[in-house]
Amino acid sequence: MGRVHGGEVEVSEYEDGDINVVDDDDFAEEGDDMVDAGAADVPVAVTTYLAKALADSPDEVEVMASSRGDGVKISVTVAQGDMGRVIGRRGRTAQALRTLVAAAGAKAGIATNVDIVDV
Amino acid sequence: MEWVEVTGTSVDAAKEAALAQLGVEADDAEILIVSEPTKGLFGRVRGEARVKARVKPAGPRPKRNRNRRERSGAGEGGGNREGQQRPQKASGDGERQKGTAPQGNRNKPQREGQQRPKQEEREMADGMTLEEQAKVGQEFLKGLLDAYGYQADVAIRNLDDETVELSVTGDELGLLVGPRGSTLAALQDITRTVVQAKFTARTDRILVDVAQYRERRVAALTRWVQGIAEEVKASGEERPLEPMSAADRKVIHDTVATIDGVETRSEGEDARRHVVLAPSA
Repeated sequence: MGRVHGGEVEVSEYEDGDINVVDDDDFAEEGDDMVDAGAADVPVAVTTYLAKALADSPDEVEVMASSRGDGVKISVTVAQGDMGRVIGRRGRTAQALRTLVAAAGAKAGIATNVDIVDV
Repeated sequence: MEWVEVTGTSVDAAKEAALAQLGVEADDAEILIVSEPTKGLFGRVRGEARVKARVKPAGPRPKRNRNRRERSGAGEGGGNREGQQRPQKASGDGERQKGTAPQGNRNKPQREGQQRPKQEEREMADGMTLEEQAKVGQEFLKGLLDAYGYQADVAIRNLDDETVELSVTGDELGLLVGPRGSTLAALQDITRTVVQAKFTARTDRILVDVAQYRERRVAALTRWVQGIAEEVKASGEERPLEPMSAADRKVIHDTVATIDGVETRSEGEDARRHVVLAPSA
């Protein structure tokens, strides 16, 4: 992945080409403690893999990451029909997904925050 | 055959053993008490408690439900030997079930997806063997480990006729176990969900282990409680342990059962369920 700071940077270097890593400087200015460029790679890859595995329409899964201070916010977009599947009853599946993404974040030394949004 | 029959020094111990064997929480299981333990002289156990348990049939899938009803109508292989078709006869355990609710109903979210596949897929899923499901889970885990960047292996281990374990081995997998195995629990959860989502089959019998965490936990618990048991013997005083999962409590019961002069019982409900070690007569 390229840089994760300095304005809007879209990176699509993942195999599938459908993951966009978007910088978001609302919360962190240049010079702040920024997450290292690349630190979000593993959490994003794990999120994407899990969302696609869970979804009925994996092609409609999109994962965006934006750095937030000392962590990364990961937004998962799935087809409307897949929301229930990815979230699960009482949020159980979403919770498991967050736990597994957090482990990926821990590996890279960053905090993660996963949002699941429908289209 | 889905029922397991398990014995223990007390009904609770037997239930816990059964749950551990099935690999499910209390509210995902149906438990029938076949016989209570009979006490001999000086409170020694002469006849062990015997329970039958199975993973609770769940899910709105009509076909499977019909099968269940037929079978339960037929007497469920000794399940009503003593007229105890009701699950979880003891009232104390009713409360215990409530306590594990967050863990419970794990089948239900997965079943939501089962309504969706077309008829022929459903038929195929019904014919899907545990081995095939395990392979799907194995492939899923391999892909996930790749995403993490771990060099790890996923082996399929048949624990018994009805239970497979997907055993992940590799270096530095601690993060996948997590504090008190919480990440491992999420891993197992999501693996089951994925297998079920793709194949609409029941996946209660798929366990996931990472770096032999389960095995090591058993070994560590065993060593630890042996020390506690010696202390209890020496002091003659009861010793309550902290609350533990059913699987962990089973390890405690089983270990202490092999030590003379100390016995165990479970106390407390819900999340406070814990084992007490006591000197025996």
